[in-house]
Amino acid sequence: MRLLVATCAVEYQGRLGARLAPATRLILFKADGSIAVHSDSKAYKPLNWMNPPCVIEDTGDEIVARTPKGETLRIELHDVVLDTTVPLGDDPGLEKDGVEAELQQLLAARVQALREDLTLVRREYPTDIGPVDLLCCDGEGRTVVVEVKRVGEIAGVEQLLRYQERLDRDPRFAPTTGMLVAPVIKPQARVFAQSRGVTCVEIDLDALRGGPDPALTLF
Amino acid sequence: MKFRCERDTLAEAVATAQRTVASRSGALPVLQDLRITAGDQGLELVGSDLEITNRVHVPAQVEEPGVAVVPKLLGEIVRRLDPGPVTVSVAGDEAVVTAGRFTTSLRLKPAEDYPRLAPNEGQGVRVDAAAFAGALRQVVRAASKDDLRPILTGVLLTSHAGGLRLVATDSYRLAVRDLKGVSMLPEGQRVLVAAKGLTEVQRLAGDGEIEVVLRERDVVFRTSRAEVTARLIEGEFPNYEQLIPSGYPNRLVVARDALLEALDRVQIVGQNRDNAAVRLAMSATGLELSMSAQDVGSAQESLDAKYEGTELTVAFNPVFLRDGVDAIEGPEVLLETVDPLKPATLRAADGSDFLYLLMPVRTS
Repeated sequence: MRLLVATCAVEYQGRLGARLAPATRLILFKADGSIAVHSDSKAYKPLNWMNPPCVIEDTGDEIVARTPKGETLRIELHDVVLDTTVPLGDDPGLEKDGVEAELQQLLAARVQALREDLTLVRREYPTDIGPVDLLCCDGEGRTVVVEVKRVGEIAGVEQLLRYQERLDRDPRFAPTTGMLVAPVIKPQARVFAQSRGVTCVEIDLDALRGGPDPALTLF
Repeated sequence: MKFRCERDTLAEAVATAQRTVASRSGALPVLQDLRITAGDQGLELVGSDLEITNRVHVPAQVEEPGVAVVPKLLGEIVRRLDPGPVTVSVAGDEAVVTAGRFTTSLRLKPAEDYPRLAPNEGQGVRVDAAAFAGALRQVVRAASKDDLRPILTGVLLTSHAGGLRLVATDSYRLAVRDLKGVSMLPEGQRVLVAAKGLTEVQRLAGDGEIEVVLRERDVVFRTSRAEVTARLIEGEFPNYEQLIPSGYPNRLVVARDALLEALDRVQIVGQNRDNAAVRLAMSATGLELSMSAQDVGSAQESLDAKYEGTELTVAFNPVFLRDGVDAIEGPEVLLETVDPLKPATLRAADGSDFLYLLMPVRTS
């Protein structure tokens, strides 16, 4: 993360034109390739920003970010107060129930995104030890127990194994197979899952949310 | 101002004029009301949001000429009156409506606050009302309702091969209708007319002819029941001709009414769902429609159809597909396709004056 505090003027050209008169502002360059211009007021939102993919050129006097769509963010640096870079490392992610719930809902609508031959039997299938996120059936009629997590960790694999153990007692479902699904699955969890015969699937949340726009247009 | 008018006549006139009053917040408040002018010729009722104006003339016994801006509430009041004469008398900022033993008074906004509307003067060209309304019925439905894309909210009227061509698109579908022998516009001229105004023209077309007066900023349609003024939209309409594929390898001919009824049945499972798609599986054995929605269920129906081409399944937005089939006049529909992702064309199997181009939807 690069933090640049400078007196600067900003001009955006793209979907609309916007200009910020010279003032002292904080410019953030994040490792994900984004750039954002903040002021000391107006809450948490940047005054202007550009998301990746964008190309950022820094000539010392001027920073220019361009997107493939032709949007341009031009920052004219007048006086640099601070310019420092701090590596923040990997973020463990925000533990938020809503995200898992959304993931589960999105996957329930498109279980084929996990494996083509899957069909959904039921979402939130109740067991004595809690509800299974997604109970599915594969192309050969076998039951697949799917546990959805925001980050795949060993605890998630253990939880899935407990559900499988419970469902395997029911002759309608036995023998089950397990599938741990998350946008990111930690290596330790992957190794543990593999040793217990659990499949790990990493999914792209953005693709799942939007996917390709199904509504094609004429122009 | 004071006049007397038959209830049915007044109720119909108010209903027509109030359809185009401004409803949006932020508009001039006076535009949410009706302007009534009483004169030697009877009454003129005007409803306008400054983009579309409906102007209705009706006979009335005018005792005292004048102008008043009356709340559109008048329509609901008149509609509930018993048949017979209705008297409206305006004094100061109050209108008194009397009919039989009923009387009510309504507060009025100042008539001078009502914007000046250009008078509907000028002579125009005459077109057959039924033919023009029929063409509008087919085309207007494809215009966009998204005000963020104003050009697509209009219908393109252009001279074409000695006749008139009407074109509308919302970027998902495109409707093109040729009215042969109708010379409304000079050769080479094209205008973009607000679709909302043309919906009014279609509704008010009636019998006989419509007189069309093209002006610099708007166009006036004089029908037998009212005058509709619609603004012209400025901007370049998409080059629609290049969107129409030059040839199609697959042709399906199916009965129009049977297809409409099947679509109505099948799409019930996907009602009110975003991205719902109806799949059309076409083969030598006919047409199979199917639709499914997670957590709701699925529906299928097969129809007899003549098919030439390779077996193909294409998915469409069910509402847009139904609109296209419904717009077609004739007993049979010709559906021409290229592949599941390229635009398909609907037209009457026995006609070439209407074309409905429709983009498929992508399915996983």
